[in-house]
Amino acid sequence: MPQLRKDPIIGRWVIISTERGKRPHDFGKTYSGPPDKDCPFCEGREQQTPPEIYAVRPDGGSPDSKGWKVRVVPSIAPFLDNQGELWKKGIGLYDFIGAYGSHEVVVEIPNHTANMADLEEGQIKDVLTTYVKRIEALKRDKKIKYVLIFKNYGWQAGGGRVQHSRSQIIATPVNLKRVKEELEGSRKYYSYHERCVYCDIVREELDLKERIVLDVDGILAVVPFASRFPFEVWILPKKHSADFYKIDSEEKNSLAKALKEVLVKIKKLLNDPPYNYVIHTAPFRRAHKGYWTTIDEDYHWHIEVIPRLTQVAGFEWGTGFYICPTPPEEAAKYLREA
Amino acid sequence: MSELRRDPITERWVIVNVDAPLSPADFHFQQHIWKGEKGCPFCYGNENLTPPEIEAVRPDKSEPNTPGWKVRVVANKYPALKIEGNLEKQGVRLYDMSNGIGAHEVIIDSPEHYKGIPDFDDNQVESIIKIYKSRTLDLTKDKRFKYILIFKNLGKAAGASLEHGHSQLIALPMIPKNVREEIRGAERYMSYHERCIFCDIIRQELGNHKERIIFENDKFITLLPLSSRFPFETWILPKEHKSSFMEIEEEDIPFLAKILKETLGRMREVLFNPPYNYVIHTSPINTEQPLGFHWHIEIMPKLSRTAGFEWGSGFYMVQTPPEIAAKYLRGELK
Repeated sequence: MPQLRKDPIIGRWVIISTERGKRPHDFGKTYSGPPDKDCPFCEGREQQTPPEIYAVRPDGGSPDSKGWKVRVVPSIAPFLDNQGELWKKGIGLYDFIGAYGSHEVVVEIPNHTANMADLEEGQIKDVLTTYVKRIEALKRDKKIKYVLIFKNYGWQAGGGRVQHSRSQIIATPVNLKRVKEELEGSRKYYSYHERCVYCDIVREELDLKERIVLDVDGILAVVPFASRFPFEVWILPKKHSADFYKIDSEEKNSLAKALKEVLVKIKKLLNDPPYNYVIHTAPFRRAHKGYWTTIDEDYHWHIEVIPRLTQVAGFEWGTGFYICPTPPEEAAKYLREA
Repeated sequence: MSELRRDPITERWVIVNVDAPLSPADFHFQQHIWKGEKGCPFCYGNENLTPPEIEAVRPDKSEPNTPGWKVRVVANKYPALKIEGNLEKQGVRLYDMSNGIGAHEVIIDSPEHYKGIPDFDDNQVESIIKIYKSRTLDLTKDKRFKYILIFKNLGKAAGASLEHGHSQLIALPMIPKNVREEIRGAERYMSYHERCIFCDIIRQELGNHKERIIFENDKFITLLPLSSRFPFETWILPKEHKSSFMEIEEEDIPFLAKILKETLGRMREVLFNPPYNYVIHTSPINTEQPLGFHWHIEIMPKLSRTAGFEWGSGFYMVQTPPEIAAKYLRGELK
């Protein structure tokens, strides 16, 4: 009998097929392609990208030259930039605002490597540091409400033609719907239980163990109870914190280790599939009327990793109801053993 | 500069590329390669390859599970939910769950393997709509169900596993999240304005030089929503306020058949036969009826890939503004 499970945070139901649970090899969608001889993200081709915004350069060196470890450049096709005005207007029923913000690309490694799973742990730590630095810098712009950090790996996951490991940063002047839903769900849970729902999930999963993928000091990776997609993984800090950018150095070490291991497991188990990850963190708390004062207690940052193994069809779009063909407990077992 | 638009119903923001809109030819997707009718369970003569038929349109009064039908409904061979059993909801410590009770049916649009809705005569499309309605009415009698979702996946990229044209119906024991959100948005608008937001959208679009309208007849209208999530996303709405699809009058069905056929035909022509999904958005059943909800059909061609950004944020980037897309669909731009 299939099961229906409810996400305890935003209240989304998913259908879990328990009987004909799909095994990892049922999916098999390898992402491969020829290396790109003209990759603009490789070291030595810094002139081929827009001027760099930020770089990790342990040995110094001037911007847009060799010698970097991680490099941030503006997107060549930005959806948002900070050149225009943040205008707002309404026409009849409809609300419009100017597309103010930022759209940046984080190049994660100087030499041509496609999958972040193949980066050294130390290199991943530098990427995480870069994320933190960029969020801190973007926070200074009072017009920015949210910074979204995500990765599209592989064509089906929305990745570009050039296969050089990178992630994206989008800073927006509005709060995002999905984030708002999580904030509202966590607030509702907190106001009833006086506990953070994510802290409760961490405790629950540590207790049950069946959905844990890995447990590194301070960081837990689990397949969520009501996962939307087969082999979806959430990576959460055990210590309560609403903001990713406030991560301390030790936590960052553990996160780099956990992220690397999760990505390696996914690569190995599922035959190098396309995937996305998204950092879910709290919006900036800009004071205005009705200013949300309880976010620090309610919310808990985390990373969602989604291998792209199935097609999202009419049913999912129409309902926000997902059919997950692999039960989370089984997926977690496979991932633990990978 | 691009702009941000907010959906007045769900409050979702979308980024619209108004500066450098993509044209239909700019989108790249895999063209469908026909596998052929060999062994197709939806073709005439293969009725025994599907679970037994639930309902069919048989003008020649032929026997069930034999050829001679025009539209045929069968249970899904690999159902996401099962109809047998009682609905048992339970809490497992922190988590809520229930057993997977529901119905999952397949509506075979016609016996023709290679034909789609735009190729059918009006009567065939009317038969499909009538069967959508009669299946909905029938399943509504089952008090375990709270929502009936009718949708179509066409093409592999849109999630279709079989190429012979078909639609699906899923009856659910709870109201899905997106539906709840839409209803909440409509109720919020209704409680302030005392008007239906969808009726207001139709009025505003009709009054606005019809720039986002594609087709219109006495009973229905096809428009591109201002804050569409996907390029060339298109909605078909009844002009008269009705909250539920199953309330459609028999005499209105030919008007819906005509506009559905025209809309899908135009999309196929202008967008080079894209994979697509359409979904009927309607009110929940066996529960209190929402105020200010207005049923409609949302058609989403799969022209672009949905990436991490969209999943994580519920924020969409649209590469063709709907007013430009409407020009292509009306044939004013090529």
